[in-house]
Amino acid sequence: MKSVREACIISVVVGLCGVIAFFAHPKAPAFHVDELEVELEEVLQLEEAFWIDARSDEDFEKGHLEGALSLNEERWEEQIVDFLDAWNPDAPTVVYCSSQACLRSHEVAERLKAELGVENIFVLKGGWEKLAEAGIVEEANQ
Amino acid sequence: MRRLGQFVEIIVGVAFLWAGIVKLMDPSAFLSAILTYEVFSYKVSVIASLGVPYLELCVGACLVFRVMIGGARLLAVVLLFVFIILLSQAAMRGLDVDCGCFGSSTKSSEAGFFWPIARDVLMLVGIGLGIVARGNTNGSLEK
Repeated sequence: MKSVREACIISVVVGLCGVIAFFAHPKAPAFHVDELEVELEEVLQLEEAFWIDARSDEDFEKGHLEGALSLNEERWEEQIVDFLDAWNPDAPTVVYCSSQACLRSHEVAERLKAELGVENIFVLKGGWEKLAEAGIVEEANQ
Repeated sequence: MRRLGQFVEIIVGVAFLWAGIVKLMDPSAFLSAILTYEVFSYKVSVIASLGVPYLELCVGACLVFRVMIGGARLLAVVLLFVFIILLSQAAMRGLDVDCGCFGSSTKSSEAGFFWPIARDVLMLVGIGLGIVARGNTNGSLEK
């Protein structure tokens, strides 16, 4: 019984730390990411979408969506210059990464919104896997 | 035997501490790893990405510093069972998961599930050894 009581005390401490971390941790994940997400079918209806590939450079070199620009956290400072050169503020920007589990696209989209004020920006739900399923890109590239 | 049990538990505690620190350094990366298991919803995964590292830190610290040792053992056993079940189901479903155990981004389908599961089983054995070495014959997890 003492063990259970101690486990409860530890759990309460853990819960408190978790709540504090949620508000204070600089890298705490957002609770709502759905706001930026769009389905592939919706994206395909967008005219002249500007595609951003948020996967690693290695994955990008293996294969990427035609016309997509590589922009990831690892080489942000270098790649943001290319982004600014190519970006059309009037066109919707769509960011994708490898799969639904991948959060890199959300991080890139959030950062573009926060740092450059890019408003017309979306994250492709399902990412590269979804593009491959739809036959838009070849899965073998992944 | 008692000293050996304590020593093994401290090693397990250090492993928990290390795992917790690595995950806390980048909760988003750990969240991505949790999502690859395709078991929990996004919101549950966010809670786990912030809760599990602190749980590992607290359990590790208690095991190392011999504080609230019974509770720490209980939580360690529960955590390790959950990890083993999650890894096993991913292996059975043939998922391409990122273990996330120690912040590694190596996909388990590439690296194999054997070592992560074996490591958790070894840690469970370590906790069991600590309990047995304490001479608790009544099944208690306490001192």
